[in-house]
Amino acid sequence: MVYIKGTGMSKFDVSQDWSYERIYDCVNEALDSGNVSLEDIDAVFISSSEAESNGERQKHTAPMISSMLKKKIPMLTVPAGCCGGGAALWDAVSFQKVNNARNVLVIGFEKLVANISEKATDEMLRGGERIYEQAEGLIFPAQNALVAQQYMMKYDATSDDLALVALKNHENAFDNPKARFYKKKITLEMIKKSPVVASPLRLFDCSIPCNGAAAAIISKDKTDIEIAGSALSTSKLSSFERENITSWNSTINAAKTAYEQAGITAKNIDIAEVHDAFTPVELISYEDLGFCCKGEGARLIREGTVNINGAFPTNTSGGLKAKGHPISATGVSQIYELVLQLRNQAGKRQVDNIEYALAHNIGGAGCVTTVHILRKSQ
Amino acid sequence: MIIRWVSEDGKRKWIYPIKRDIYTKGKIVKQVSKKAKVIGITKVNIPSPMHPIIPYYVLLLEDEHSNRIPKKTMREYKIGEDYEISLATTDGAVIITKIKYDVYEYLKESIELLHNYGISPEDKILIKPSIIEPAYQYQSVTTNPELLDALITYLKEKGIKDIVVAEQAMLGNDTMASAKKAGILDVCKKHEISFIDLAKSEYIEKTYDNFNFRIAREILERKVINLPVMKTNSQIVISGAMENMLRIVDEETQKKMFKNDIEKTLPKLIKVVPEFLSIGDATIGLQAQGPTLLGEPAFLNMLFLSKDPVALDAVFTEASMLKKPHYLKIADVLGVGNCDTEKIEVIGDELEAIKCPLKAAENNASAHTNMKLIDGKANPYIFNIALKMTAKLVGLLGEEVNLVIGSFITKEMLQKKSRLVAYGKDAIEQMEKLGVKAIAEIPEEMGDIEKVILLKSILQNPNKENITVADNLKSKIIGLGMKVRKKF
Repeated sequence: MVYIKGTGMSKFDVSQDWSYERIYDCVNEALDSGNVSLEDIDAVFISSSEAESNGERQKHTAPMISSMLKKKIPMLTVPAGCCGGGAALWDAVSFQKVNNARNVLVIGFEKLVANISEKATDEMLRGGERIYEQAEGLIFPAQNALVAQQYMMKYDATSDDLALVALKNHENAFDNPKARFYKKKITLEMIKKSPVVASPLRLFDCSIPCNGAAAAIISKDKTDIEIAGSALSTSKLSSFERENITSWNSTINAAKTAYEQAGITAKNIDIAEVHDAFTPVELISYEDLGFCCKGEGARLIREGTVNINGAFPTNTSGGLKAKGHPISATGVSQIYELVLQLRNQAGKRQVDNIEYALAHNIGGAGCVTTVHILRKSQ
Repeated sequence: MIIRWVSEDGKRKWIYPIKRDIYTKGKIVKQVSKKAKVIGITKVNIPSPMHPIIPYYVLLLEDEHSNRIPKKTMREYKIGEDYEISLATTDGAVIITKIKYDVYEYLKESIELLHNYGISPEDKILIKPSIIEPAYQYQSVTTNPELLDALITYLKEKGIKDIVVAEQAMLGNDTMASAKKAGILDVCKKHEISFIDLAKSEYIEKTYDNFNFRIAREILERKVINLPVMKTNSQIVISGAMENMLRIVDEETQKKMFKNDIEKTLPKLIKVVPEFLSIGDATIGLQAQGPTLLGEPAFLNMLFLSKDPVALDAVFTEASMLKKPHYLKIADVLGVGNCDTEKIEVIGDELEAIKCPLKAAENNASAHTNMKLIDGKANPYIFNIALKMTAKLVGLLGEEVNLVIGSFITKEMLQKKSRLVAYGKDAIEQMEKLGVKAIAEIPEEMGDIEKVILLKSILQNPNKENITVADNLKSKIIGLGMKVRKKF
């Protein structure tokens, strides 16, 4: 059994704090909230996309953390694109199980917004395939736009549905003090009138890049939250290569494994943080995670099922869309939100009667996915 | 064109040109489709470093095997429309092809778009790569041996038996050493093909507009396929299809061409050689301080093909968002080719869709930050040695030195420039004509080590106003000492 002790998270923003500052603060928060001493940490798994353009130019992040924490224990950096945080957690869980480690620290951090936007765009573009995709102008918004278009042609979904996803997540972020869009009122009209980035996707269909860090401490010591399922799956690098563009099998496979490990089905999940890098991805993910049948994603948003006061709230943190998406920190920040919810510490965003919570983190356009299922300990 | 590499049993497909099925160890079959349907479209409104011009479209294309690729275009398509690349309809068409890993297949497709260049098995082919100096493939100063290999394979498949590869290095460099380091000799050996050093050729005189060119006999007797690396060039903006033909003439002609203004004489040279096909090698391509090793790889993954070298260079220049070289305009006026991209038929990838700025070469940069060139279109030997001298002194701090080279020096070029050092006969004579005094004159016949020692003493002595007899003597003694040490 693997449990969660403490979690920590910096505010997601564009401030130019050194990475060590953010990391130091959120590790402290995780230690304090989990009542863990640094002495008792046995290993650290870190994720960062190793941005070149931020002025820090620090590729060797594990020794950097070693310098900061004054620890000589195993530390490993796990870059996996936007799925870096989830992948680091998955590695930590696997390590804990194999080595019977007592406490393992997981850190995701990113300082990506620190240069002209072209440089930041270029950094993110490196997550896509170079020869077929990058060379043909298939930047991530364009890639997801083509997916959205195929989805809308195939199923009953429209741009209005995408706008509702954005609206829901912005409404949730309004009450999240650590979100990039905290206390920023975004209306449906603003979303629908925002400029088209890559048709049919508008600006508000795209998550917002920012800087941030998040940490979690997992443990073999029993706590109030258990990691009941932890799965990672990969798929082809290019979405156009896959037989089905509108369903991402890395999500399907990771979810299947995680549900099996937890001994549950999608119906048992009470709350989820879903990887909404682009609004259509949230709709597709509802289906791939088994929350509804294929082609029914739009129904969940139209009927308000996934709203914070609905039967099945998703992205109560604001999601990548409005909480912000500091690439490698995202996956760990999802855990931060779910732990708050499971511990009844989410303030205005609090959802009642949660037993099972799911975190879904994707790298690239469905290239690598992790699914983690948390449950209140029996 | 959509290609997939498929396992024999058809169960697995790859987008990469793999050679064996990793599961069954069985053979791989290429699945090539030249027709596709548009099944998706997005209009992109945000620029990115590789795609600075907006809006553009990305199509999702699907072939009859349900294989898909994304394709950038500036044209508006409709879902369901056919997507197919048509053959060239004009003689001066330029083919632009983005390579997707498989150089051979995309080269073949490109030549086919030019109606196979009318190749027949009886043809005697001469392939003229670009091998200006000893450099590795990855440095992209020389023609990519992978492309040469693909071209020879294609020609052999067409039944051609008589193929040679011929080139001479930039003046001052050794051709065979350059060809060896570039991997070109290995390709020749693999295909059992001769490599000819054009510097040792027999030359035939050809005249145009009272200018005599001594051209290597092989160039005139064979069907030539010109294989230049597409590069930036600090002297003439780019090195491409036109510039690569410079080295078909002897050393004396090359020097004379520069003395008489290379931008005017290069088009005349092209005028006297028979028609040739150019395959612009932008598999990597070179940007910044080209055309030598001071440049940096551009990773373009493209080919540019044309029977019109002027059109090819014009299209590449525009694609790279560089200023149009003057020699292209002169060539156009002479009727050598077409430099107006509005009038050039572009086949394959669209010119507008591939536009992306390359880093331009600065006309005055050398290898050393404290040494600038004032380049009056110096001939390749002087240019080459000037760069090598400055490269030898990298790491030594000093006072700015302006190294004046070439004949086309004007008073304006020398204005507000101090510590002028004239290198080579042309620059020395021109400065005398202009009545401008250099603090030192370095004759080209001086030994290479002595030249560097002299330049070093100037660089490191800010108060030096001229070179004394003692300086010259000292450089000779040190130079001699170094030669002796090297010998033993």
